[in-house]
Amino acid sequence: MPLAPEEVGEIREILGREPTPEELAMFEAQWSEHCSYKSSRLLLKLLPTGGSRVLVGPGRDAPAVEVFPGIAVVFKIESHNHPSAVDPYNGAATGIGGIVRDILTLGARPIALLDLLYLGEPSDPHASWIARGVVKGISDYGNRIGVPTVAGDTWFDSSFNRQPLVNVACVGLAKVEDLVGEQPRPGDLIVIVGNSTGRDGLLGSSFASKPLGKDVDRDIGAVQVADPLTEKLLIDSLAELVQRRLARYIKDLGGGGLTTAVSEVAAEFNLGAELDLDKLHLRTELTPLEILVSESQERMMVVVEPGKLSEVERVFEKYDLRYSIVGVFTDNGRIVARFRGRVVADVPSKELARPRAIRRASRPPAEALNGLTPALGLPEVSIPDSILKVLSSPNVSSRRWIYEQYDHEVGARTAVKPGYADAAVLKLDAGDRRGIAVKGDANPRYTYLDPFNGAANSVAECFRNLVSVGATPVAIVDELNAGNPEKPEQFWYFEMMLKGLAWMAGELGLPVVGGKVSFYNEDHLGRQVKPTTTIVGVGVVEEVSNVATMDFKVAGSAVVVVGTTFPELGGSEYLHRVHGLEVGEIPRPRPSSELRNSSLVLELVRRGLALAVHDIGLGGLGVALAEMAVLGGVGVEVDLGRVPCRGCLRVDEVVFSETQARYVVEVKAGDVDEVLELAGRMGVEVSVVGRTLSSGVYRLRSGGAVAELPLEVLRSTYLESLESSFR
Amino acid sequence: MVRVAVVKFPGTNCDEDVVRAFRELELDVEAKVVWYKDFRSAKWDAVVIPGGFSYGDWLRAGAIAARTKVLDEVREGVSRGLPVLGICNGFQVLVEAELLPGALLPNESGMFTCRWVRTVVERPRGPWLSLVPDRSRLDMPVAHAEGRYYVDEVTYSEISLKCPHLRYERGWNPNGSTYDIAGVGSENGSVLGLMPHPERAVGVLTPRGFNPGGELILRSIALSLRKGW
Repeated sequence: MPLAPEEVGEIREILGREPTPEELAMFEAQWSEHCSYKSSRLLLKLLPTGGSRVLVGPGRDAPAVEVFPGIAVVFKIESHNHPSAVDPYNGAATGIGGIVRDILTLGARPIALLDLLYLGEPSDPHASWIARGVVKGISDYGNRIGVPTVAGDTWFDSSFNRQPLVNVACVGLAKVEDLVGEQPRPGDLIVIVGNSTGRDGLLGSSFASKPLGKDVDRDIGAVQVADPLTEKLLIDSLAELVQRRLARYIKDLGGGGLTTAVSEVAAEFNLGAELDLDKLHLRTELTPLEILVSESQERMMVVVEPGKLSEVERVFEKYDLRYSIVGVFTDNGRIVARFRGRVVADVPSKELARPRAIRRASRPPAEALNGLTPALGLPEVSIPDSILKVLSSPNVSSRRWIYEQYDHEVGARTAVKPGYADAAVLKLDAGDRRGIAVKGDANPRYTYLDPFNGAANSVAECFRNLVSVGATPVAIVDELNAGNPEKPEQFWYFEMMLKGLAWMAGELGLPVVGGKVSFYNEDHLGRQVKPTTTIVGVGVVEEVSNVATMDFKVAGSAVVVVGTTFPELGGSEYLHRVHGLEVGEIPRPRPSSELRNSSLVLELVRRGLALAVHDIGLGGLGVALAEMAVLGGVGVEVDLGRVPCRGCLRVDEVVFSETQARYVVEVKAGDVDEVLELAGRMGVEVSVVGRTLSSGVYRLRSGGAVAELPLEVLRSTYLESLESSFR
Repeated sequence: MVRVAVVKFPGTNCDEDVVRAFRELELDVEAKVVWYKDFRSAKWDAVVIPGGFSYGDWLRAGAIAARTKVLDEVREGVSRGLPVLGICNGFQVLVEAELLPGALLPNESGMFTCRWVRTVVERPRGPWLSLVPDRSRLDMPVAHAEGRYYVDEVTYSEISLKCPHLRYERGWNPNGSTYDIAGVGSENGSVLGLMPHPERAVGVLTPRGFNPGGELILRSIALSLRKGW
């Protein structure tokens, strides 16, 4: 069990007596890694979290940043890895439910979801079952609650065959003046609203804080069951409470259930609480222990001052939501729970909410040397064949099979939709031309080979994707998916990812306003999955009709590459797909180039000089050009000799290198001089490498012809590869 | 100002989108979300039953909402000529309530599908299509799991000869609808059901290669209500 013997000893000391079974369960839930961050808390202090736009930083259920004067974006990321391994459909669906409720706690209206899925190989039957269930779960839940799933990231790798990573993020919108978060006072009522409490998700956070068992079916009771209709009613009723200012404070009943919700609020505001467990509405008869730690979904705690209770009750009754008044906050710092007249728990809230941080040992494993093993003497391969192979990779090809299952339009804000650009763009409101861009990114192979630089590259990739649509990045949240923190060789990856993230976020001036840590991502044999740093970022768009998508628009434009290419094939999709290698030094993070090159791209979009923009990422320049051509239905011809390179000796290095800080931009022929002049003034290396064609062909030259492919072939490869592996 | 009720059931989720679409187009229409318990048809000049998952799609999409008192009110309004538009789940509700013919079955793919499609309007008539020329193309997105329209042949020939309707353009049928039907109206066009979402096909929400097909429908009702049709 997750409570170690020395922790039980500590609990005895805190209480000065033997703990009751109920108290032990409360401590087990609250002191679980999932709720307490006990292994990560010391290192998390390295993250830059402040900034002029930050309204609410880490600590609350969700952070908030001011995107425009008076307008806040509340966004947060969450993992549901363990439940999704056991019950993919409900695991993923309840992940969406949980992250949406986090956004509601600040009084924001959820306007977008992102799903970041790291799944097993589609050819593996078990992994395919997980993938289908996860996508269906997100689809059914997200669609039903009326929040569009607008962006995400998907990756397929055999290390995730048994244990996927299911990260979900939600973005909410609120007026700054409407943000909820007054200080609860003694005498305030604790109202629990939503679903009846049942036995599902019992000690789920403690289940998520240990490795996956061999027989996962035995853990099925730790997975919660999803009820999107109740969630939708919670969204609607809380919007009404917030608008009428009837809630003093709102908190989700998530991991740790009632125990965590009450103890965290009490601890933060130096309060105690009296709970009457008989009052809570139940689905079935439960013991007090079960009531305290059940993680039944779609429940929220609303802190209400007594004078406003009747108004609050009327709102819940309007929406036919069940609720109960389970207790009051007190000033004595103790959480006292009663059941049938008997005190079943009496614990100090501070000690319950905040276990001692643990300093974990960290040591690089021998495997980490893969990241230093050069891929020497690669055989000569056909470039056109390689382009098709990389383009057909499930990590590269179109995610249409996934995003068409999601309602990405509900809300009527999605100005740039999935599949059209590097990030999604959402319009603020009717009659308002402003918007925000959102995107999430990770590269598990990078973080596996080099966790520090890999995590840094995740931040940079997210940054570039926002810039590509013409958005100014303002803040990010992170999800660190790591192995077993008790194993130094696995904890090392977490430590390095965190440091890489902290470094790059600081360099790019992006506050990490919130995040989540997920440990124990091991399969039943104790092998960790590829450690993965997922970043979700938000950018500001001044005018939603002036954004860039990545499809080539017209024939006869100039194709411009921004940034310098280095021979960086280590850890690339090309090396993996074509040569079967997962080794090498991954592309170096280049923060100063990122900043310089992005400011040029933003200026080009702002001045209307960029007809199309695409960042060069996975698969390199060859793939970026193919995607732009396919999506636009416009041919392209590029002279590789004109791509700004340093040290590239082979053609495949120019075509497939994944060097950071690069973009492809389509520029109207008549605007080329202005673009070059601007780039020169800003000190950005750019080059006109080719042009778009009126014929449906994709052509790369370097002296002679390197690759020539009909657009139709690229199109079917790009659009249908993923779909056909799930048909 | 003319008043349009946008009826919200538990689980409806496109209600505010409809209201905002009217605002976005700056139409002279007061569109308001009305909670289903509070809906009385006499107070309104037109009614929209918007998309979503009323009652969580329990039983069948639209089946429970169709049996609420709201639909008695709507039926009474329809008998007076009140314009009623059902979008997506609203269309499913109108079909379940037998205010429109046919049925909406699960998509042929078996999956929820969200994508932009092209539709062609035939025999436009009535308040919702008053500005729409015959055979014109309206592009809009669909987002549903149960949108495969089905009717028997007799009813179909009646629809095609007498009623306003929308078809998916050849090659754009997203769900396997018979005769590519995307939307169907009553004979005089005062009741209209659409699987595509007009409120999402407005202004900058329209992707490259498509037209903002919802605008003409919303403008039609605004004008019709002001001038009579």
